[in-house]
Amino acid sequence: MAHGQLAEGQPAAGAPSALVFLRAWIGIGVQSFGGGSTTLYLMRREMVERHGWISDDEFSRTWGMVQIVPGINLIGQSIVIGYHVLGATGVVLALAGLLLPSVTITVLLTAAYATVRELPVVAALLRGVVPATVGLGLLLALQMARAPLLASRAEGRTSLAFSVALLTTSAAMTSFAGLPVLAVLWSAGALCALVVWHAGWRQP
Amino acid sequence: MSWLVLFWILLKASLFSTSGTGNLPILHDELLARGWATESDFAEALAIGQISPGPTGLWVISLGYLLDGPRGALLALVAVALPPLTVLLVHGLYLRYGAHPATQGFVRGLTLAVAGIFVVVLVQIMQGTGVDARSLGIAAVALALGATRRVPVPAILALAGLAGVVLY
Repeated sequence: MAHGQLAEGQPAAGAPSALVFLRAWIGIGVQSFGGGSTTLYLMRREMVERHGWISDDEFSRTWGMVQIVPGINLIGQSIVIGYHVLGATGVVLALAGLLLPSVTITVLLTAAYATVRELPVVAALLRGVVPATVGLGLLLALQMARAPLLASRAEGRTSLAFSVALLTTSAAMTSFAGLPVLAVLWSAGALCALVVWHAGWRQP
Repeated sequence: MSWLVLFWILLKASLFSTSGTGNLPILHDELLARGWATESDFAEALAIGQISPGPTGLWVISLGYLLDGPRGALLALVAVALPPLTVLLVHGLYLRYGAHPATQGFVRGLTLAVAGIFVVVLVQIMQGTGVDARSLGIAAVALALGATRRVPVPAILALAGLAGVVLY
């Protein structure tokens, strides 16, 4: 794992001007309708394929790294790329370009919603939209659990059983035992770290 | 509602998530306990977040706005932008320990727990609006349509809204 380095200001192609770099990120920001996978796709297309500011390998490696860093992965990825291409300025430009369009639209939509929120017809709309959000949320939960469960399955039956138990116990601890979510998250992380390390599970 | 405490909760939730909606369980836990948010606030913010462009994680900007107006949105924005900056600090550590079984195990445990608690939160949000055959049906259809990946999310939510008006 310890090969390659994340060099500051050494893009694969020549360093772009601040304006060109910002424009590329705004393009990503305004076009990313349809959730995170679209954004990631656009990011790779612009940064790797179109401009060559970061290599394909580097892009994939940093994507692995941002998975374990706190917060939204796409924001982490844009920070790393920004730093890689233009240093601290690059971080600011990448974040501004990615976030300003989407945040503005989100705020405007919410503000518009807040003005009609009390209307009776909105209450009726919500009785349909809320269950749909829950349905789509279940899909998100499945997608979240998918990668760790697949990795466990590849490591064998014991690992899979442990992962499933951890998932269901965490849910039960919060709902039935009413434990604070933060405590459950810490315990689950620490327990899994110890068990995976100690058991030496490896994917064949 | 103290803006400092609100910011702290938003920041904490962002620090303890490794994906866009992973902050939901902590926010749901702490904001409901303080009485600063309702089940409906979460559902509405999640729905708006699904319609808006950009990372799904920006749903929390919408939640901030619903709870505390423009100031809440700004607090939420800062709270989601700061934690990922640690990526610049941990790079050296990542090269050394990223592949370590304990690191991988911690992230796996955290992700599994978030996914499990996520389902609990969704059930509670559902209970907030009422569980009956109609709402369960809408949830199931939305899940199925979403799983096909062929129908855009805004279209699914629009259909569901229409169903709500017709059925209730």
